[in-house]
Amino acid sequence: MKQNNLENKSANKQAPELAAKRANVPAALQQKANDFLNSNPVNTKALKQIVNLLENPDSNAVGIMYVLEVIFRNLLKRKLISTAENKTCKSNAKPQEPNATCQIQYNKAWSLLLANLGNASKEEAGTALKVCMQLIAAEAKHSRSKDWPVTRLRSILEALINAEATPTAALAEFAKFTRCLDVLQFTYQLLPGLAPKSYVDTPNLAFNYLAIINLLDLGKTVLNDKQFHIGPESTFDYDRTRQLLNKVWNGIIASCNGVDEKVHRQVLVVLLERILPHLKNPILLTDFLMDSLHQFDGPIALLALQGIFTLMQKQNITYPDVYQKLYNMFYPRMFYNKYKARLFYLADIFLTSTHLPENLVAAFAKRLARLALKSPTEDAIIMIRFICNLLLRHTGLQRLICATGAASAVEIADPYDETELDPVKSGALQSSLWELVLLQKHAVPEVANAAKFITKSLPMVEFDLSSLLETKECNIFDDEVKKEVKQFTMAYERPTNFALPQYDIVTKYWDIL
Amino acid sequence: MGVKAKKSNADAVYSKKAGKTSNPFDTAISQTSKRLNPFDVHVNKEKFKILGRICKHDRGLPGVSRAKALKKRAETIGKQYEVKHKTNKFRDHRIGKHLSGEQLTESVMNARYLAEKLSQVRASNKAQKFNLNDDELLTHRGQTLEEIEKYRDERSDDEELEDEGLDAEFTSAAHFGGGADAPQDRQTAIEEMISEQKRRKIEIAKDKDEVHDLTEKLDANYKDLLSLVAKATKDEQIAKPPPDDYDKLLKEMIFEPRGSVTDKLITPEELAKQEAARLEQLENERLRRMKADDEQPETNVQPHRSADDLDDGYFATGVEDDADDTLAYDLDGNLGTHLNSKKENPKGQSNDKSDEGSDDEADEEDDDEEEEEGSDSDSESEADNLSDLKASDSEPDSESEQTPQPKKTKSKLQKSKVSEAVETSIPYTIKMPKTYEDFAALLAKYTPAQQVTVVERIIKCNHPKLEGVNREDVVKLFGFLLHYIKDMFEDASELDIGSHFKLVSQLMPQLHDLVHLNIDRMSNTLLDLIKEKYAEYRKNHKIYPSLDTLIYFKIVSNLYSTSDFRHPLATPTYIFMQHMLSRARVRTRQDIAMGLFVVTIALEFGSRSKRLLPAIFNFLQGIVHMAIPKRQQERVEIAPPFEQEGPFSKLLAIPATSDTKALQPQKLQPADLVTQTIDVDFKVRALDSTLCLLKQIFKEQMGEHTGACYLAAPFLPLIEQLPMNLYPEHVQEHCAEATTTLKSVAEQKMKPLAPPDKKPKALRLLEPRFEMVYDDKRRPKMSKQKEERAKLLHKIKREKKGAIREIRRDTAFVQDLKLKQQIQSDNERREKVKRIYQEASVQQGELNELARAKKRKKF
Repeated sequence: MKQNNLENKSANKQAPELAAKRANVPAALQQKANDFLNSNPVNTKALKQIVNLLENPDSNAVGIMYVLEVIFRNLLKRKLISTAENKTCKSNAKPQEPNATCQIQYNKAWSLLLANLGNASKEEAGTALKVCMQLIAAEAKHSRSKDWPVTRLRSILEALINAEATPTAALAEFAKFTRCLDVLQFTYQLLPGLAPKSYVDTPNLAFNYLAIINLLDLGKTVLNDKQFHIGPESTFDYDRTRQLLNKVWNGIIASCNGVDEKVHRQVLVVLLERILPHLKNPILLTDFLMDSLHQFDGPIALLALQGIFTLMQKQNITYPDVYQKLYNMFYPRMFYNKYKARLFYLADIFLTSTHLPENLVAAFAKRLARLALKSPTEDAIIMIRFICNLLLRHTGLQRLICATGAASAVEIADPYDETELDPVKSGALQSSLWELVLLQKHAVPEVANAAKFITKSLPMVEFDLSSLLETKECNIFDDEVKKEVKQFTMAYERPTNFALPQYDIVTKYWDIL
Repeated sequence: MGVKAKKSNADAVYSKKAGKTSNPFDTAISQTSKRLNPFDVHVNKEKFKILGRICKHDRGLPGVSRAKALKKRAETIGKQYEVKHKTNKFRDHRIGKHLSGEQLTESVMNARYLAEKLSQVRASNKAQKFNLNDDELLTHRGQTLEEIEKYRDERSDDEELEDEGLDAEFTSAAHFGGGADAPQDRQTAIEEMISEQKRRKIEIAKDKDEVHDLTEKLDANYKDLLSLVAKATKDEQIAKPPPDDYDKLLKEMIFEPRGSVTDKLITPEELAKQEAARLEQLENERLRRMKADDEQPETNVQPHRSADDLDDGYFATGVEDDADDTLAYDLDGNLGTHLNSKKENPKGQSNDKSDEGSDDEADEEDDDEEEEEGSDSDSESEADNLSDLKASDSEPDSESEQTPQPKKTKSKLQKSKVSEAVETSIPYTIKMPKTYEDFAALLAKYTPAQQVTVVERIIKCNHPKLEGVNREDVVKLFGFLLHYIKDMFEDASELDIGSHFKLVSQLMPQLHDLVHLNIDRMSNTLLDLIKEKYAEYRKNHKIYPSLDTLIYFKIVSNLYSTSDFRHPLATPTYIFMQHMLSRARVRTRQDIAMGLFVVTIALEFGSRSKRLLPAIFNFLQGIVHMAIPKRQQERVEIAPPFEQEGPFSKLLAIPATSDTKALQPQKLQPADLVTQTIDVDFKVRALDSTLCLLKQIFKEQMGEHTGACYLAAPFLPLIEQLPMNLYPEHVQEHCAEATTTLKSVAEQKMKPLAPPDKKPKALRLLEPRFEMVYDDKRRPKMSKQKEERAKLLHKIKREKKGAIREIRRDTAFVQDLKLKQQIQSDNERREKVKRIYQEASVQQGELNELARAKKRKKF
């Protein structure tokens, strides 16, 4: 009964897909395929013709792939093709002449499909992978032994890893299948054997390899979903998969000495996103992360820091210099790297504790304020809000914006030392947040308004930074343009030429008039 | 019936009341009226006098009021009781039936008439419902008014005067014996008289008929004669002698505008004062917008607009200009002459003067005039171009036709006298091109200098005040101009960029005027363009957008109040510039030049508000950084988009061998914006401008800000590394100046931040709470609605009570009546019985008497 339901569901799911497929297939091809399917003794010539079509670069590859899928599924159903596994023992079936030809064509089609995985055209690569996976499912369904066609999966993975450029489209498609637990398990099973020989010499392969791992999500939602690619009777063993994962990771860590920065970054991303929660002994990572943290700066250090943070949380390791490291990650160039949102997020978490020494937090506040003077608009807003949050968390820091009577009378140069690496020694607590006063003069009203908090009473609750982290510079422009109130106030002086009647600057420096 | 009866009762009561209140003197007690009998007055004793309580019942006249009530009842219920059980009765359903005499006013009568008519309408059949003609016949003494009118004799005006009676002659003869020729017989005399009278009457009637016939004839002929009469009068007018001076003067005085002069002729000083006041007001408004206080960061108080404002976007221009037109009558009495001649007269004079006087003076005056004209352009163009428009409607682009209308562009002729020779080929009226292609083709026919005039003329010919359609046209024209500018700059080359800039420069005033015609629409056009540009730029934010974008920025800077805290155009532009300066890669001469151009525009934006755009400083640092010669692998810290190392990090560094000493100070060239290769000239120029900019920024804009040191400090180490000895002297000078300025700013000392002194919180003042009406009753506090309800309920209760009492008294009254009737009828019956008994006893007595007499006889 249950099984029936499941089948119905899958049938429902497939209905729109089929429609899409039909739309892609040209009528002539459709006709050909129908003819072929209707002829009872298999017309090998026609099959050959269709398979060969795929080789032709000008043809409509997507349509052909769909047609091939239909044809081979049919053939598999008719047991005209023996599945890859029991190829050797096929002889006991009644000898059929077209069987062998079909087999050849089938294998040829497979190789062509695999070659298409790395195709530049997104649609073709995606479709190729989809068709491959469908064929795997069909094979498993109609094979006698009901075994998982692991070799096919292996060939797909091989093709993906060995692609010259990263096959993004195919990977995106593959990501959908990795939500199926059986695919997940078998992929992990295959991966150790497929690991590239050297990460240093072939960074491309390594990158692809890591990209595949990045797709393999062992998270709770996936496990709870219990989707299976081939039949519900497949089983999934988390512990075994976890073992495999550890094996894969050991392979990676063993060979990732002195790798390319890009690969290293990817290793860290994979580690943080996919592997770390399932590692048996994550404490072993400490060395790796520390090395990454100390040898690199920028994004890699940041990712390593995040890893260390997780270890601190879960494994209770201590890392004394973590705040100093974090402090030194805030420098002007950071706004131009990809992971700045992660940095803000991490810094927010690290500085959540109210038990941190005040001078440390003051140094952070000062540094953020300094950076806000140089940063792009959206980051300036985030940092101002962040500073405000810090002041709320550490009430002692409010002396940065409200000096006591005697001190406020004397004019001083800023005692904060920007170049000091140790935040505790930077003398920030003796300083004041003059930067925010300057930021009130920012040309973008959002920033200026955000900086006004120092003259008003502090808000009661902290700002939620997470909503701000995703904003881009363009969003600020869009928001500004969308503003309802539109009063175009005009200049009251009529310009007689290119120059402004008063305060002209452009023509002062340009030889225009 | 009961209902009706009640209604009539109510009417009666009302009429009494109305009658009473109508005369305020009714209540006054006249000397002769009955004085209040002190024994009638009943005094209710008050135990305690309570403040604020109004006591209505302290004294009363129980006897009087009872009598009144009784009387009223007798008049109402009593009457009703009387006619109870009676089948026929007289019913007066007229409105105001209880009124009488003077109370029956016109309005009551009208109401009656109306009601009557309404009832008739209701009663009449449906067919008449929609009959609009008044079919009803009004009558007077039984005759319809129509009839009366028909037989009215028009000629009977003077008839009544004639005495119908006997004439004096006859009477004197007949009554008083008469003279000698008195007739012998009285009978004959009277007959004679009668016949005489009859004859006379016939004669008179005959005469009258004749006269009537004649008048009718005349009337008939009159119409034929009418035209002749009219002609005659006209001829007479023509024949009138021409008015002499006196007449003229008289008429002038008659038709002179009588209203008091509202705008006297303004002297130049006053004009200057007014202008200054206007500017001051505008400046104050600008400052307010710039500050945009905390409470309301988005304040945009609408400038004052009069109730008559047509919302045509004119509020921003000179307000006083529009009031110049005075309406007056001219000598012929035609309405609608604008007394604007004063505007033209001084012009003519000044022109004469300029011809005579020295050249300088004339130029100055001309300039003044031009400015004045700029502000006056609305009214002027309206006055001037009305004829233009007509001309363009009838025969567009006909140059030969221009001569018969020399008046229309008079002012302009005078204004552009010098260039007139060149511009003769431009038609005065130019139709608004329908599409951009037409517009571009039109402009392509002329030289750049002429193009400005063409645009100016298009604006004037299509001024929205002339025709409503032009409203759309000017918006379109603005779009065309922007598009034209885009086309010009998009593929500008080294050769023509200078002239392009010149053209845009000359177009600026036209753009300004145009935008003022419909600020919202055109600003939105510009905003849409900038949005479009931004969307384009966003696709690849590492590359500078095309040059036209920068020109749009400059237009925004020139036309709009960029100092506002938040401005729908300036703020997005700011964000765009910040984005561009912080992201776009700097690799070629064009990139550097564009960056510097944007920096100068951004500075212009903030020149009044002194607001800062962080990317400017980073960019200028980058320029200085690029000018530092670096050895291989040497790194000097600099933030993106500049590169710390490599060939792009020393684009502007000049080689030690080059000879630059001879270079003259030079501004940045427009050609830099379109050239890719960097030469030494440019290197020096760019650095020089950067240094000057730095000096200016920190001296004029940023200097006084708290925290400006943070902006200035990073420049110092960079400037120190510049190999100044390689540069020409003026650069060295500027460098020294910039360094001193930067140093002075960088060493700025600041007071630690302290929140502004809080105002002492005022004690909460407790004001006494007065209750509007104090009535000693302490009720629970209720909401207003509830209170209202409670009040109403209370009122209902009281009214009910009163009604019940009244009903009780009514019943009592009726019972009283019944009793009286009963008693009366009983009495009558008793009387009757008595009388019967009496009669019977008398009868019996007589009988007995008879019987006795009989007996006696017997005996």
